[in-house]
Amino acid sequence: MYWLSKTRYKIGLLLPSFCIYTVFILLPIAMAVRYSFTKYSGLGKPQFTGLQNYVRMFQDDLFWSSFKNTMIMFVLAFVLLLVLSFAIALLLNKKLKGSDLSKALIFSPAIIAPIIVGIIWVYILDPNVGIINGILDAIGAEGLKHQWIGGATLTPYSLAIVYFWQQLGYLVTIFIAGLKMLPEEVMEAAIIDGANEWQKVTRIIIPMMKSNISTVAILIITGVFKIFEIVQQTTGGGPNHLSETLVTYSYTMTFDSGDYGYGMSLATVTFIVSLIIVGIYSAFFGDKEEKKEAKARRKLAKEAKAAKKAAKGGAA
Amino acid sequence: MISKRNKSLLQLLIAAITILIVFPLAWMVMLSFKTSGEIMSNPIAPPTSFNLENFTHALDILNYGQLYGNTFIVCIIALVIELICTFFSSFVIARMHFYHPGIKGALFTFFILGLSVSPFILLFPVYKINVFFGLRGIWALIFPYAASSVSFNTLLLVNYFKQLPSEIDEAAVVDGCNIWQLMFRVILPMSKPVLATIIIFNVLYIWNEFPYASVMLRDVSEYTLSMGASFFKGTYTVDYGGIVASSLMIIIPELIFYGIFQKNIVEGMTAGAVKG
Repeated sequence: MYWLSKTRYKIGLLLPSFCIYTVFILLPIAMAVRYSFTKYSGLGKPQFTGLQNYVRMFQDDLFWSSFKNTMIMFVLAFVLLLVLSFAIALLLNKKLKGSDLSKALIFSPAIIAPIIVGIIWVYILDPNVGIINGILDAIGAEGLKHQWIGGATLTPYSLAIVYFWQQLGYLVTIFIAGLKMLPEEVMEAAIIDGANEWQKVTRIIIPMMKSNISTVAILIITGVFKIFEIVQQTTGGGPNHLSETLVTYSYTMTFDSGDYGYGMSLATVTFIVSLIIVGIYSAFFGDKEEKKEAKARRKLAKEAKAAKKAAKGGAA
Repeated sequence: MISKRNKSLLQLLIAAITILIVFPLAWMVMLSFKTSGEIMSNPIAPPTSFNLENFTHALDILNYGQLYGNTFIVCIIALVIELICTFFSSFVIARMHFYHPGIKGALFTFFILGLSVSPFILLFPVYKINVFFGLRGIWALIFPYAASSVSFNTLLLVNYFKQLPSEIDEAAVVDGCNIWQLMFRVILPMSKPVLATIIIFNVLYIWNEFPYASVMLRDVSEYTLSMGASFFKGTYTVDYGGIVASSLMIIIPELIFYGIFQKNIVEGMTAGAVKG
Protein backbone atom coordinates (compact mmCIF):
# COMPACT_ATOMS: atom_id res chain seq x y z
CA MET A 1 0.00 0.00 0.00
CA TYR A 2 3.02 2.18 0.00
CA TRP A 3 2.65 3.25 -3.64
CA LEU A 4 -0.79 4.79 -3.45
CA SER A 5 -0.23 6.55 -0.13
CA LYS A 6 0.37 9.95 -1.66
CA THR A 7 -0.15 12.92 0.61
CA ARG A 8 -2.59 14.48 -1.83
CA TYR A 9 -4.79 11.36 -1.76
CA LYS A 10 -4.68 11.25 2.02
CA ILE A 11 -5.70 14.85 2.43
CA GLY A 12 -8.35 14.66 -0.28
CA LEU A 13 -9.94 11.55 1.20
CA LEU A 14 -9.82 12.75 4.80
CA LEU A 15 -11.18 16.19 4.00
CA PRO A 16 -14.94 15.45 3.63
CA SER A 17 -15.18 13.67 7.00
CA PHE A 18 -12.97 16.25 8.62
CA CYS A 19 -15.10 19.16 7.40
CA ILE A 20 -18.49 17.74 8.35
CA TYR A 21 -17.19 16.55 11.73
CA THR A 22 -15.50 19.86 12.52
CA VAL A 23 -18.37 22.06 11.39
CA PHE A 24 -21.20 20.11 13.03
CA ILE A 25 -19.56 18.56 16.13
CA LEU A 26 -16.40 20.40 17.21
CA LEU A 27 -17.25 23.96 16.22
CA PRO A 28 -20.66 23.80 17.98
CA ILE A 29 -18.99 22.78 21.25
CA ALA A 30 -16.69 25.80 21.05
CA MET A 31 -19.65 28.01 20.17
CA ALA A 32 -21.69 26.65 23.09
CA VAL A 33 -18.89 27.41 25.53
CA ARG A 34 -18.51 30.90 24.07
CA TYR A 35 -22.27 31.60 24.26
CA SER A 36 -22.21 30.45 27.88
CA PHE A 37 -20.24 33.59 28.76
CA THR A 38 -22.74 35.89 27.08
CA LYS A 39 -26.22 37.26 27.39
CA TYR A 40 -28.00 36.47 24.16
CA SER A 41 -31.66 36.74 23.29
CA GLY A 42 -31.28 35.54 19.70
CA LEU A 43 -31.52 39.05 18.26
CA GLY A 44 -28.53 41.27 17.68
CA LYS A 45 -25.13 40.31 18.96
CA PRO A 46 -24.44 38.27 22.10
CA GLN A 47 -23.15 40.52 24.87
CA PHE A 48 -20.14 39.26 26.76
CA THR A 49 -20.95 39.07 30.46
CA GLY A 50 -18.08 37.01 31.82
CA LEU A 51 -19.05 34.52 34.49
CA GLN A 52 -22.44 36.07 35.17
CA ASN A 53 -24.40 33.06 33.85
CA TYR A 54 -22.45 30.72 36.07
CA VAL A 55 -22.95 32.92 39.13
CA ARG A 56 -26.67 33.04 38.34
CA MET A 57 -26.73 29.27 38.04
CA PHE A 58 -25.37 28.78 41.54
CA GLN A 59 -28.09 31.01 42.92
CA ASP A 60 -30.82 29.43 40.80
CA ASP A 61 -33.06 27.10 42.83
CA LEU A 62 -34.35 25.48 39.65
CA PHE A 63 -30.82 24.61 38.62
CA TRP A 64 -30.25 22.87 41.93
CA SER A 65 -33.58 21.01 41.80
CA SER A 66 -32.78 19.85 38.23
CA PHE A 67 -29.36 18.84 39.46
CA LYS A 68 -30.90 16.90 42.34
CA ASN A 69 -33.40 15.17 40.03
CA THR A 70 -30.64 14.21 37.62
CA MET A 71 -28.57 12.80 40.45
CA ILE A 72 -31.52 10.79 41.83
CA MET A 73 -32.11 9.32 38.39
CA PHE A 74 -28.44 8.66 37.96
CA VAL A 75 -27.91 6.84 41.28
CA LEU A 76 -31.07 4.75 41.05
CA ALA A 77 -30.62 3.85 37.38
CA PHE A 78 -26.93 3.14 37.89
CA VAL A 79 -27.42 0.71 40.76
CA LEU A 80 -30.45 -1.03 39.25
CA LEU A 81 -29.03 -1.32 35.77
CA LEU A 82 -25.55 -2.41 36.71
CA VAL A 83 -26.67 -5.10 39.17
CA LEU A 84 -29.73 -6.44 37.38
CA SER A 85 -28.39 -6.39 33.84
CA PHE A 86 -25.40 -8.37 35.05
CA ALA A 87 -27.59 -10.84 36.93
CA ILE A 88 -29.92 -11.30 33.97
CA ALA A 89 -26.96 -11.74 31.63
CA LEU A 90 -25.66 -14.54 33.88
CA LEU A 91 -29.10 -16.13 33.83
CA LEU A 92 -29.52 -15.92 30.07
CA ASN A 93 -25.99 -17.16 29.47
CA LYS A 94 -26.95 -20.54 30.96
CA LYS A 95 -28.38 -21.39 27.53
CA LEU A 96 -31.64 -22.69 28.84
CA LYS A 97 -34.54 -23.33 26.47
CA GLY A 98 -36.14 -20.07 25.36
CA SER A 99 -33.15 -17.91 26.27
CA ASP A 100 -32.72 -16.62 22.73
CA LEU A 101 -36.33 -15.54 22.46
CA SER A 102 -36.10 -13.85 25.87
CA LYS A 103 -32.95 -12.06 24.80
CA ALA A 104 -34.63 -10.73 21.66
CA LEU A 105 -37.73 -9.59 23.53
CA ILE A 106 -35.85 -7.95 26.42
CA PHE A 107 -33.74 -6.06 23.90
CA SER A 108 -36.73 -4.66 22.02
CA PRO A 109 -37.36 -1.54 24.18
CA ALA A 110 -33.86 -0.34 23.30
CA ILE A 111 -34.75 0.14 19.64
CA ILE A 112 -38.01 2.02 20.21
CA ALA A 113 -37.91 5.81 19.79
CA PRO A 114 -37.32 7.35 23.24
CA ILE A 115 -40.17 9.75 22.58
CA ILE A 116 -42.54 6.77 22.33
CA VAL A 117 -41.02 5.17 25.41
CA GLY A 118 -42.21 8.30 27.21
CA ILE A 119 -45.70 7.94 25.76
CA ILE A 120 -45.90 4.25 26.67
CA TRP A 121 -45.06 4.94 30.30
CA VAL A 122 -47.61 7.70 30.64
CA TYR A 123 -50.20 4.92 30.39
CA ILE A 124 -48.54 3.09 33.23
CA LEU A 125 -47.51 5.84 35.62
CA ASP A 126 -50.08 8.56 35.06
CA PRO A 127 -52.09 9.15 38.24
CA ASN A 128 -55.40 9.22 36.33
CA VAL A 129 -55.14 6.95 33.30
CA GLY A 130 -52.14 4.86 34.40
CA ILE A 131 -52.37 1.17 35.09
CA ILE A 132 -50.62 1.26 38.49
CA ASN A 133 -53.15 3.47 40.18
CA GLY A 134 -55.90 1.68 38.26
CA ILE A 135 -54.89 -1.65 39.76
CA LEU A 136 -54.47 -0.17 43.24
CA ASP A 137 -58.00 1.17 42.92
CA ALA A 138 -59.37 -2.14 41.76
CA ILE A 139 -57.90 -4.09 44.68
CA GLY A 140 -59.03 -1.49 47.14
CA ALA A 141 -55.58 -0.23 48.09
CA GLU A 142 -56.31 3.44 47.50
CA GLY A 143 -53.88 4.31 50.27
CA LEU A 144 -50.97 3.20 48.11
CA LYS A 145 -51.94 5.43 45.21
CA HIS A 146 -49.36 8.06 44.41
CA GLN A 147 -48.63 10.70 41.84
CA TRP A 148 -45.97 8.57 40.19
CA ILE A 149 -45.36 11.31 37.66
CA GLY A 150 -46.33 14.94 37.70
CA GLY A 151 -46.23 15.21 41.48
CA ALA A 152 -43.62 17.10 43.41
CA THR A 153 -41.33 14.28 44.49
CA LEU A 154 -41.68 10.91 42.78
CA THR A 155 -41.03 11.81 39.14
CA PRO A 156 -37.25 11.30 39.03
CA TYR A 157 -37.58 7.90 40.73
CA SER A 158 -40.25 6.80 38.28
CA LEU A 159 -38.24 8.06 35.32
CA ALA A 160 -35.21 6.10 36.52
CA ILE A 161 -37.40 2.99 36.26
CA VAL A 162 -38.47 3.98 32.75
CA TYR A 163 -34.85 4.44 31.76
CA PHE A 164 -34.07 1.09 33.36
CA TRP A 165 -36.76 -0.55 31.22
CA GLN A 166 -35.42 1.03 28.07
CA GLN A 167 -31.75 0.18 28.62
CA LEU A 168 -31.90 -3.21 30.35
CA GLY A 169 -31.85 -5.42 27.25
CA TYR A 170 -29.08 -3.44 25.62
CA LEU A 171 -26.78 -3.71 28.64
CA VAL A 172 -27.67 -7.37 29.15
CA THR A 173 -26.52 -8.01 25.59
CA ILE A 174 -23.20 -6.27 26.20
CA PHE A 175 -22.65 -8.36 29.32
CA ILE A 176 -23.54 -11.57 27.46
CA ALA A 177 -20.99 -10.65 24.76
CA GLY A 178 -18.42 -10.30 27.55
CA LEU A 179 -19.39 -13.56 29.23
CA LYS A 180 -18.99 -15.40 25.93
CA MET A 181 -15.37 -14.25 25.77
CA LEU A 182 -14.40 -15.78 29.10
CA PRO A 183 -12.16 -18.82 28.54
CA GLU A 184 -13.96 -22.11 29.13
CA GLU A 185 -10.94 -23.70 30.83
CA VAL A 186 -11.00 -21.27 33.73
CA MET A 187 -14.61 -22.09 34.46
CA GLU A 188 -13.95 -25.82 34.21
CA ALA A 189 -10.96 -25.53 36.53
CA ALA A 190 -13.08 -23.64 39.05
CA ILE A 191 -15.74 -26.35 38.98
CA ILE A 192 -13.12 -29.06 39.47
CA ASP A 193 -11.70 -27.11 42.40
CA GLY A 194 -15.16 -27.18 43.92
CA ALA A 195 -16.16 -23.56 43.57
CA ASN A 196 -19.86 -22.98 44.06
CA GLU A 197 -21.99 -20.71 41.87
CA TRP A 198 -21.53 -17.67 44.13
CA GLN A 199 -17.75 -18.07 44.30
CA LYS A 200 -17.58 -18.50 40.54
CA VAL A 201 -19.35 -15.20 40.03
CA THR A 202 -17.59 -13.12 42.66
CA ARG A 203 -14.09 -14.58 42.44
CA ILE A 204 -13.76 -15.32 38.74
CA ILE A 205 -16.40 -13.80 36.50
CA ILE A 206 -16.53 -10.30 38.00
CA PRO A 207 -12.73 -9.83 38.19
CA MET A 208 -12.34 -11.11 34.62
CA MET A 209 -15.09 -8.87 33.28
CA LYS A 210 -13.70 -5.63 34.72
CA SER A 211 -13.36 -3.83 31.41
CA ASN A 212 -16.82 -4.96 30.35
CA ILE A 213 -18.32 -3.66 33.58
CA SER A 214 -16.52 -0.35 33.06
CA THR A 215 -17.99 -0.03 29.58
CA VAL A 216 -21.50 -0.59 30.88
CA ALA A 217 -20.98 1.80 33.80
CA ILE A 218 -19.77 4.55 31.48
CA LEU A 219 -22.66 3.92 29.10
CA ILE A 220 -25.10 4.33 31.99
CA ILE A 221 -23.44 7.53 33.19
CA THR A 222 -23.36 9.22 29.79
CA GLY A 223 -26.81 7.82 29.00
CA VAL A 224 -28.49 9.28 32.08
CA PHE A 225 -27.19 12.72 31.12
CA LYS A 226 -28.92 12.37 27.75
CA ILE A 227 -32.37 11.49 29.13
CA PHE A 228 -34.65 13.99 27.52
CA GLU A 229 -37.62 12.62 25.61
CA ILE A 230 -39.06 10.59 28.47
CA VAL A 231 -39.13 13.66 30.74
CA GLN A 232 -40.56 15.77 27.95
CA GLN A 233 -43.36 13.30 27.26
CA THR A 234 -44.30 12.35 30.81
CA THR A 235 -44.23 15.64 32.70
CA GLY A 236 -42.65 18.23 30.40
CA GLY A 237 -40.56 19.20 33.42
CA GLY A 238 -43.66 20.25 35.35
CA PRO A 239 -45.29 21.09 37.65
CA ASN A 240 -43.47 24.42 37.87
CA HIS A 241 -40.20 22.97 36.57
CA LEU A 242 -40.02 20.69 39.63
CA SER A 243 -39.32 17.53 37.66
CA GLU A 244 -36.87 19.19 35.30
CA THR A 245 -33.51 17.48 34.76
CA LEU A 246 -30.31 19.28 33.77
CA VAL A 247 -30.84 18.47 30.11
CA THR A 248 -34.49 19.46 29.97
CA TYR A 249 -33.85 22.61 32.01
CA SER A 250 -31.14 23.73 29.62
CA TYR A 251 -33.42 22.92 26.68
CA THR A 252 -36.31 24.87 28.21
CA MET A 253 -34.11 27.86 28.99
CA THR A 254 -32.65 27.86 25.49
CA PHE A 255 -35.62 27.16 23.28
CA ASP A 256 -38.70 28.04 25.32
CA SER A 257 -37.44 31.05 27.27
CA GLY A 258 -35.05 32.19 24.53
CA ASP A 259 -32.35 32.79 27.13
CA TYR A 260 -29.64 31.38 24.90
CA GLY A 261 -26.62 32.43 26.93
CA TYR A 262 -27.94 30.92 30.15
CA GLY A 263 -29.19 27.82 28.34
CA MET A 264 -25.76 27.22 26.87
CA SER A 265 -24.06 27.62 30.24
CA LEU A 266 -26.45 24.99 31.62
CA ALA A 267 -25.67 22.69 28.69
CA THR A 268 -21.95 23.19 29.22
CA VAL A 269 -22.21 22.41 32.93
CA THR A 270 -24.31 19.30 32.22
CA PHE A 271 -21.71 18.03 29.79
CA ILE A 272 -18.88 18.75 32.23
CA VAL A 273 -20.72 17.07 35.13
CA SER A 274 -21.14 13.89 33.10
CA LEU A 275 -17.47 13.94 32.14
CA ILE A 276 -16.49 14.46 35.79
CA ILE A 277 -18.57 11.46 36.90
CA VAL A 278 -16.96 9.34 34.18
CA GLY A 279 -13.59 10.61 35.44
CA ILE A 280 -14.39 9.75 39.06
CA TYR A 281 -15.57 6.32 38.03
CA SER A 282 -12.42 5.64 36.02
CA ALA A 283 -10.21 6.89 38.85
CA PHE A 284 -11.77 4.45 41.32
CA PHE A 285 -12.67 1.44 39.20
CA GLY A 286 -10.79 1.99 35.97
CA ASP A 287 -8.53 -0.63 34.50
CA LYS A 288 -5.83 -1.26 37.11
CA GLU A 289 -3.47 -2.67 34.49
CA GLU A 290 -3.72 0.45 32.44
CA LYS A 291 -3.03 2.60 35.47
CA LYS A 292 -0.01 0.51 36.36
CA GLU A 293 1.27 0.90 32.84
CA ALA A 294 0.75 4.65 32.92
CA LYS A 295 2.60 4.81 36.23
CA ALA A 296 5.48 2.78 34.84
CA ARG A 297 5.60 5.03 31.79
CA ARG A 298 5.69 8.14 33.95
CA LYS A 299 8.48 6.64 36.01
CA LEU A 300 10.48 5.82 32.89
CA ALA A 301 9.99 9.31 31.55
CA LYS A 302 11.14 10.76 34.86
CA GLU A 303 14.23 8.58 34.87
CA ALA A 304 15.01 9.51 31.29
CA LYS A 305 14.68 13.17 32.19
CA ALA A 306 16.93 12.73 35.20
CA ALA A 307 19.47 10.90 33.07
CA LYS A 308 19.37 13.69 30.50
CA LYS A 309 19.86 16.28 33.20
CA ALA A 310 22.75 14.30 34.64
CA ALA A 311 24.32 14.02 31.20
CA LYS A 312 23.88 17.74 30.65
CA GLY A 313 25.40 18.46 34.04
CA GLY A 314 28.28 16.16 33.21
CA ALA A 315 28.88 17.94 29.89
CA ALA A 316 28.86 21.33 31.58
CA MET B 1 -24.51 -29.41 36.76
CA ILE B 2 -27.87 -27.78 37.31
CA SER B 3 -30.55 -30.01 38.76
CA LYS B 4 -33.76 -30.40 36.82
CA ARG B 5 -35.83 -28.64 39.44
CA ASN B 6 -33.47 -25.68 39.56
CA LYS B 7 -33.45 -25.56 35.79
CA SER B 8 -37.19 -25.19 35.53
CA LEU B 9 -37.14 -22.61 38.33
CA LEU B 10 -34.58 -20.55 36.42
CA GLN B 11 -36.62 -20.90 33.26
CA LEU B 12 -39.65 -19.63 35.12
CA LEU B 13 -37.63 -16.66 36.35
CA ILE B 14 -36.49 -15.82 32.82
CA ALA B 15 -40.04 -16.06 31.56
CA ALA B 16 -41.27 -13.77 34.34
CA ILE B 17 -38.62 -11.13 33.58
CA THR B 18 -39.40 -11.28 29.87
CA ILE B 19 -43.13 -10.86 30.45
CA LEU B 20 -42.50 -7.93 32.77
CA ILE B 21 -40.39 -6.19 30.11
CA VAL B 22 -42.76 -6.88 27.23
CA PHE B 23 -45.85 -5.99 29.23
CA PRO B 24 -45.83 -2.19 28.56
CA LEU B 25 -45.76 -2.86 24.82
CA ALA B 26 -48.58 -5.37 25.02
CA TRP B 27 -50.52 -2.92 27.16
CA MET B 28 -50.32 -0.29 24.40
CA VAL B 29 -51.75 -2.75 21.89
CA MET B 30 -54.62 -3.50 24.25
CA LEU B 31 -55.30 0.18 24.88
CA SER B 32 -55.35 1.01 21.19
CA PHE B 33 -58.71 -0.75 20.84
CA LYS B 34 -60.31 1.33 23.61
CA THR B 35 -61.88 4.71 23.05
CA SER B 36 -60.42 7.73 24.83
CA GLY B 37 -63.48 7.80 27.07
CA GLU B 38 -62.97 4.17 28.10
CA ILE B 39 -59.29 4.78 28.81
CA MET B 40 -60.12 7.70 31.08
CA SER B 41 -63.05 6.18 32.95
CA ASN B 42 -61.58 2.73 33.53
CA PRO B 43 -57.96 2.38 32.45
CA ILE B 44 -57.52 -1.29 33.37
CA ALA B 45 -60.69 -2.76 31.86
CA PRO B 46 -60.24 -4.76 28.65
CA PRO B 47 -61.64 -3.20 25.47
CA THR B 48 -65.38 -3.71 24.97
CA SER B 49 -65.10 -4.29 21.27
CA PHE B 50 -62.47 -4.74 18.62
CA ASN B 51 -62.67 -1.29 17.06
CA LEU B 52 -60.09 0.40 14.92
CA GLU B 53 -61.50 3.89 15.39
CA ASN B 54 -58.30 5.17 17.04
CA PHE B 55 -56.25 4.15 14.04
CA THR B 56 -58.54 5.76 11.48
CA HIS B 57 -58.66 8.85 13.67
CA ALA B 58 -54.85 9.01 13.86
CA LEU B 59 -54.68 8.61 10.08
CA ASP B 60 -57.06 11.56 9.71
CA ILE B 61 -54.95 13.87 11.84
CA LEU B 62 -51.44 13.03 10.68
CA ASN B 63 -50.20 12.30 7.22
CA TYR B 64 -48.23 9.13 7.85
CA GLY B 65 -47.19 8.81 4.23
CA GLN B 66 -45.49 12.16 4.54
CA LEU B 67 -43.90 11.30 7.92
CA TYR B 68 -42.45 8.09 6.56
CA GLY B 69 -41.50 9.82 3.31
CA ASN B 70 -39.63 12.64 5.05
CA THR B 71 -37.83 10.23 7.35
CA PHE B 72 -36.94 8.07 4.37
CA ILE B 73 -35.51 11.00 2.38
CA VAL B 74 -33.47 12.22 5.36
CA CYS B 75 -32.16 8.68 5.89
CA ILE B 76 -31.13 8.19 2.26
CA ILE B 77 -29.35 11.53 1.82
CA ALA B 78 -27.66 11.49 5.23
CA LEU B 79 -26.52 7.91 4.66
CA VAL B 80 -25.09 8.63 1.22
CA ILE B 81 -23.15 11.63 2.54
CA GLU B 82 -21.83 9.96 5.69
CA LEU B 83 -20.98 6.67 3.99
CA ILE B 84 -18.94 8.35 1.26
CA CYS B 85 -17.13 10.57 3.78
CA THR B 86 -16.37 7.93 6.38
CA PHE B 87 -15.57 5.21 3.86
CA PHE B 88 -12.84 7.45 2.42
CA SER B 89 -11.44 8.67 5.72
CA SER B 90 -11.52 5.24 7.36
CA PHE B 91 -9.76 3.79 4.33
CA VAL B 92 -6.95 6.29 4.79
CA ILE B 93 -6.70 5.66 8.53
CA ALA B 94 -6.83 1.88 8.31
CA ARG B 95 -4.91 1.08 5.15
CA MET B 96 -2.65 3.87 3.98
CA HIS B 97 0.99 4.16 4.82
CA PHE B 98 2.03 7.05 7.05
CA TYR B 99 5.60 8.16 7.42
CA HIS B 100 4.92 8.81 11.09
CA PRO B 101 2.79 5.95 12.46
CA GLY B 102 1.54 8.04 15.40
CA ILE B 103 -0.54 10.19 13.05
CA LYS B 104 -2.81 7.24 12.26
CA GLY B 105 -3.65 6.69 15.91
CA ALA B 106 -4.16 10.38 16.46
CA LEU B 107 -6.56 10.66 13.51
CA PHE B 108 -8.53 7.64 14.74
CA THR B 109 -8.83 9.07 18.25
CA PHE B 110 -9.79 12.45 16.81
CA PHE B 111 -12.66 10.99 14.83
CA ILE B 112 -14.05 8.74 17.57
CA LEU B 113 -13.97 11.41 20.29
CA GLY B 114 -17.43 12.46 19.10
CA LEU B 115 -18.89 9.34 20.73
CA SER B 116 -18.74 11.05 24.11
CA VAL B 117 -20.43 14.28 23.02
CA SER B 118 -24.00 14.76 24.16
CA PRO B 119 -26.27 16.20 21.43
CA PHE B 120 -27.80 18.70 23.84
CA ILE B 121 -24.76 20.93 23.96
CA LEU B 122 -24.79 21.04 20.14
CA LEU B 123 -28.44 21.85 19.46
CA PHE B 124 -28.42 25.63 19.53
CA PRO B 125 -25.00 26.16 17.92
CA VAL B 126 -25.94 23.73 15.15
CA TYR B 127 -29.16 25.66 14.66
CA LYS B 128 -27.10 28.83 14.20
CA ILE B 129 -24.74 27.07 11.80
CA ASN B 130 -27.71 25.83 9.76
CA VAL B 131 -29.05 29.37 9.58
CA PHE B 132 -25.63 30.59 8.49
CA PHE B 133 -25.50 28.08 5.63
CA GLY B 134 -29.16 28.63 4.77
CA LEU B 135 -30.07 25.01 5.53
CA ARG B 136 -33.79 24.66 6.22
CA GLY B 137 -36.39 21.94 6.77
CA ILE B 138 -35.08 18.44 6.39
CA TRP B 139 -31.77 19.81 5.08
CA ALA B 140 -31.18 21.24 8.53
CA LEU B 141 -31.23 17.65 9.85
CA ILE B 142 -29.21 15.88 7.19
CA PHE B 143 -25.80 17.36 7.96
CA PRO B 144 -26.03 17.10 11.77
CA TYR B 145 -27.19 13.48 11.41
CA ALA B 146 -24.36 12.68 9.03
CA ALA B 147 -21.86 14.38 11.35
CA SER B 148 -23.20 12.54 14.42
CA SER B 149 -22.46 9.21 12.80
CA VAL B 150 -18.88 10.01 11.76
CA SER B 151 -17.48 8.69 15.05
CA PHE B 152 -19.50 5.48 15.10
CA ASN B 153 -18.83 4.71 11.43
CA THR B 154 -15.11 5.41 11.82
CA LEU B 155 -14.92 3.03 14.76
CA LEU B 156 -16.59 0.18 12.89
CA LEU B 157 -15.04 0.77 9.46
CA VAL B 158 -11.45 1.21 10.65
CA ASN B 159 -11.63 -1.91 12.79
CA TYR B 160 -13.09 -3.85 9.89
CA PHE B 161 -10.62 -2.58 7.27
CA LYS B 162 -7.72 -3.47 9.54
CA GLN B 163 -8.80 -7.11 9.53
CA LEU B 164 -8.56 -7.39 5.75
CA PRO B 165 -5.14 -8.76 4.75
CA SER B 166 -2.81 -6.15 3.28
CA GLU B 167 -1.78 -8.51 0.46
CA ILE B 168 -5.09 -7.71 -1.21
CA ASP B 169 -4.08 -4.11 -1.76
CA GLU B 170 -0.64 -5.09 -2.95
CA ALA B 171 -2.02 -7.61 -5.44
CA ALA B 172 -4.53 -5.04 -6.70
CA VAL B 173 -1.85 -2.40 -7.18
CA VAL B 174 0.49 -4.83 -8.94
CA ASP B 175 -2.40 -5.72 -11.26
CA GLY B 176 -2.64 -2.05 -12.16
CA CYS B 177 -5.47 -0.73 -9.96
CA ASN B 178 -5.53 2.97 -9.27
CA ILE B 179 -6.75 4.27 -5.94
CA TRP B 180 -10.42 4.54 -6.98
CA GLN B 181 -10.50 1.07 -8.43
CA LEU B 182 -8.85 -0.27 -5.30
CA MET B 183 -11.48 1.33 -3.08
CA PHE B 184 -14.59 0.70 -5.15
CA ARG B 185 -13.78 -2.57 -6.94
CA VAL B 186 -11.77 -4.34 -4.24
CA ILE B 187 -12.41 -3.01 -0.74
CA LEU B 188 -16.06 -1.97 -1.10
CA PRO B 189 -17.38 -5.40 -2.16
CA MET B 190 -15.51 -6.96 0.76
CA SER B 191 -17.08 -4.55 3.27
CA LYS B 192 -20.70 -5.51 2.75
CA PRO B 193 -21.29 -6.99 6.24
CA VAL B 194 -19.96 -3.97 8.12
CA LEU B 195 -21.78 -1.57 5.79
CA ALA B 196 -25.04 -3.43 6.44
CA THR B 197 -24.56 -3.01 10.18
CA ILE B 198 -23.75 0.69 9.79
CA ILE B 199 -26.71 1.38 7.50
CA ILE B 200 -29.22 -0.44 9.70
CA PHE B 201 -27.90 1.18 12.85
CA ASN B 202 -28.06 4.66 11.33
CA VAL B 203 -31.55 4.17 9.93
CA LEU B 204 -32.66 3.35 13.45
CA TYR B 205 -30.88 6.40 14.83
CA ILE B 206 -32.55 8.76 12.36
CA TRP B 207 -35.92 7.06 12.81
CA ASN B 208 -35.76 7.68 16.57
CA GLU B 209 -33.93 11.00 16.71
CA PHE B 210 -35.96 13.70 18.41
CA PRO B 211 -33.85 16.56 19.90
CA TYR B 212 -32.50 17.87 16.58
CA ALA B 213 -35.82 17.37 14.82
CA SER B 214 -37.66 19.32 17.51
CA VAL B 215 -35.33 22.28 17.13
CA MET B 216 -34.89 22.38 13.35
CA LEU B 217 -38.34 21.52 12.01
CA ARG B 218 -41.02 24.18 12.09
CA ASP B 219 -43.62 23.04 9.60
CA VAL B 220 -45.80 19.92 9.96
CA SER B 221 -45.11 19.08 6.32
CA GLU B 222 -41.42 18.66 7.18
CA TYR B 223 -41.96 16.44 10.23
CA THR B 224 -40.09 13.19 10.62
CA LEU B 225 -41.50 10.19 12.51
CA SER B 226 -40.40 11.12 16.02
CA MET B 227 -41.94 14.57 15.60
CA GLY B 228 -45.16 12.91 14.49
CA ALA B 229 -45.16 10.95 17.73
CA SER B 230 -44.91 14.11 19.79
CA PHE B 231 -47.57 15.91 17.73
CA PHE B 232 -50.54 14.95 19.89
CA LYS B 233 -48.99 16.41 23.01
CA GLY B 234 -49.10 19.93 21.67
CA THR B 235 -52.73 19.95 20.68
CA TYR B 236 -54.04 20.34 24.25
CA THR B 237 -56.94 18.00 23.71
CA VAL B 238 -56.27 14.86 25.67
CA ASP B 239 -56.74 12.36 22.89
CA TYR B 240 -55.45 9.26 24.67
CA GLY B 241 -56.73 6.81 22.08
CA GLY B 242 -55.21 8.77 19.21
CA ILE B 243 -51.83 8.98 20.92
CA VAL B 244 -51.74 5.23 21.51
CA ALA B 245 -52.71 4.43 17.93
CA SER B 246 -50.24 6.86 16.39
CA SER B 247 -47.43 5.57 18.60
CA LEU B 248 -48.19 2.02 17.55
CA MET B 249 -48.13 2.99 13.90
CA ILE B 250 -44.59 4.20 14.42
CA ILE B 251 -43.26 1.37 16.57
CA ILE B 252 -44.84 -1.62 14.85
CA PRO B 253 -42.84 -1.11 11.64
CA GLU B 254 -39.85 -0.50 13.88
CA LEU B 255 -40.36 -3.80 15.68
CA ILE B 256 -40.76 -5.61 12.35
CA PHE B 257 -37.54 -3.95 11.18
CA TYR B 258 -35.91 -5.18 14.38
CA GLY B 259 -37.25 -8.69 13.81
CA ILE B 260 -35.71 -8.82 10.34
CA PHE B 261 -32.36 -7.20 11.10
CA GLN B 262 -32.03 -8.27 14.73
CA LYS B 263 -28.53 -9.66 14.25
CA ASN B 264 -27.14 -6.50 12.66
CA ILE B 265 -28.85 -4.16 15.11
CA VAL B 266 -27.60 -6.00 18.17
CA GLU B 267 -24.15 -6.31 16.62
CA GLY B 268 -23.98 -2.60 15.79
CA MET B 269 -25.15 -1.45 19.20
CA THR B 270 -22.81 -3.72 21.11
CA ALA B 271 -19.83 -3.18 18.79
CA GLY B 272 -20.10 0.57 19.29
CA ALA B 273 -20.09 0.01 23.04
CA VAL B 274 -17.60 -2.78 23.52
CA LYS B 275 -14.88 -1.45 21.31
CA GLY B 276 -15.51 2.18 22.22
